[in-house]
Amino acid sequence: MLAIENLHVKLADEDRAIINGLSLSVKPGEVHAIMGPNGSGKSTLSYVLAGRAGYEVTQGSVTFKGEDLLAMAPDARAAKGVFLAFQYPVEIPGVATMQFLKVALNAQRKARGEKELSTPDFMRLVKDKAARLNIGQDMLKRAVNVGFSGGEKKRAEILQMAVLEPSLCVLDETDSGLDIDALRIVADGVNALRAPDRAMIVITHYQRLLDYIVPDKVHVLSQGRIVKSGGKELALELEAKGYAEFAKEAA
Amino acid sequence: MNLAVTRTPAELAYGGELLPHARMEDWKWSNLRTLIDRPYPPRQTVEARPADIERLLKASPFARIAGPRMVFVNGHYDARHSKLKNGDVAGTIANDEPVLTMNAAFATGGAHVKIAGTADTPIELVFIATAAEARTVATRNVIEIAAGASATLIETHLGEGDYLANSVSEIRLGEGARLDRVKVEREAADAIHLAHAHVTLAKGATLRDFTLTSGARINRQNGTYVFAGQGGDAKVAGAYLLGGRQHADTRLVVDHQKPHCTSRELFKCVMDDHARGIFQGKVMVRRDAQKTDGKQSSHALLLSETAEFDAKPELEIFADDVVCGHGATSGDLDRDHLFYLRSRGIPEREAKSLLIAAFVGEAFESIGHDGIREALVAHAEGWLRQHGGSP
Repeated sequence: MLAIENLHVKLADEDRAIINGLSLSVKPGEVHAIMGPNGSGKSTLSYVLAGRAGYEVTQGSVTFKGEDLLAMAPDARAAKGVFLAFQYPVEIPGVATMQFLKVALNAQRKARGEKELSTPDFMRLVKDKAARLNIGQDMLKRAVNVGFSGGEKKRAEILQMAVLEPSLCVLDETDSGLDIDALRIVADGVNALRAPDRAMIVITHYQRLLDYIVPDKVHVLSQGRIVKSGGKELALELEAKGYAEFAKEAA
Repeated sequence: MNLAVTRTPAELAYGGELLPHARMEDWKWSNLRTLIDRPYPPRQTVEARPADIERLLKASPFARIAGPRMVFVNGHYDARHSKLKNGDVAGTIANDEPVLTMNAAFATGGAHVKIAGTADTPIELVFIATAAEARTVATRNVIEIAAGASATLIETHLGEGDYLANSVSEIRLGEGARLDRVKVEREAADAIHLAHAHVTLAKGATLRDFTLTSGARINRQNGTYVFAGQGGDAKVAGAYLLGGRQHADTRLVVDHQKPHCTSRELFKCVMDDHARGIFQGKVMVRRDAQKTDGKQSSHALLLSETAEFDAKPELEIFADDVVCGHGATSGDLDRDHLFYLRSRGIPEREAKSLLIAAFVGEAFESIGHDGIREALVAHAEGWLRQHGGSP
């Protein structure tokens, strides 16, 4: 589904390389965890996949469902099935959550040549998915992420994911700032979306999240490169040894 | 130079357009078209020699009879030769606001709206200019909301062709009265719109005033809001939706003359292409107006590198127990917001439209009437479909 080959990325306005020859292959149905210390390039990888401006790919390729992902605009990537759950979802005053969700869903359907959803059908869909994530009407009535707590923002990201039904979910530090109850709700929401035709990349700093979202594969990212890959037990090993030890060992 | 403005009433009169003629029943014995044989152009200022004034004053037989006396020389009040003690008269009228002066010269009609009780449905005043040769179209309205009365008033300005519209409204709110006023300026693309609204609020009166500016190539709107009684409450909001080479300038003066009044001004201005927006807001707090709460803010969203916005906020405070503030911002769309929307599959143009609508939307919130607000939002969305921002 996703093939990243020898990817090199630098900041567009600075001569600083952030990703240095990263390769990763993700098949449908798989959940990959990417772990690494701060500054290892985890968030950059998520932004490059989603198409955020400010980064320059100097070498390598990213192929998604057989197409060159890097050549697509962010909205085209989304319509194609890429979804990034942001580490820090932005607050957008004045844009109503429901309107935003409906415009996004219908824009994607339109781009894929599908029929747009009617308002009643859309309302039903959101209500159903929101209930499972413990998201009430009051949250849906507010502007996008405005006045949401940290946990509410993360739940709202998962709701968007559930409504948009992407085929590749990239979760960037979805566990940051969550207490244990919120973490469980979010993880349940993510697990409910696991499907044979859907892949996930779970980016996290801590092993804790992986107790709830159990990955098929774990990769350790250090200085913009995957230095070790393994099964879910690798996460526990990392937790015990710490990143510093690990990076040394890998180098 | 603007032809419509330089053709003074006297010139029009001399040209025969305004002069009454013998076929008019009321004028049949005074046919001014033949009696006036040369032009009498207006002069804004004329040098007057004191000796002339004094000689002429002596010609008045009442110098010894009158107590207070007001003297006007060449159309202007002359304080030096007048005899007034404090409180003798309410004041003098200086016709020195250009929009008012032009209106006084050209106004051909207008509405006199008087509301007592509660008007259930909105009242609309529509000002239309049809396509014709370049000309001035001037109207003057008087709006009176009686004590305790309330009304919603819509002013719509529309047109086709090339013209200068001059609109003056005098608005008086009685004690405890409430007026929701919504003005929509959608003049023709070639038109010029000059307006002046003078609003007086008596004790405990409430005003909600909203202006949408999206038409005309040149727009200048003055608003003065006078709190003449205690406990008044005024919210003045506006939105600009400008493109091309449109120019819009709003000049507001909020005059807190009495204590315990609240005023809020909020303008959200969107400029695309080479458009230029200006917001000048002044809040005056007189010595007696303690416990005034006055705030104003203007925010501009510039959709192109060549669009421009200028803000001039002013506070003039003579009372010492007040809460006043002002703020002005100007910028382009937030890139993080734009990326967030696009990462969810919303195409760039649509994402920009959503963000622009969200930006101006705040100004529409003070409109109390749902139907009016929705109609304006729909109008704004129509504008956004044409101006999703320069890609």
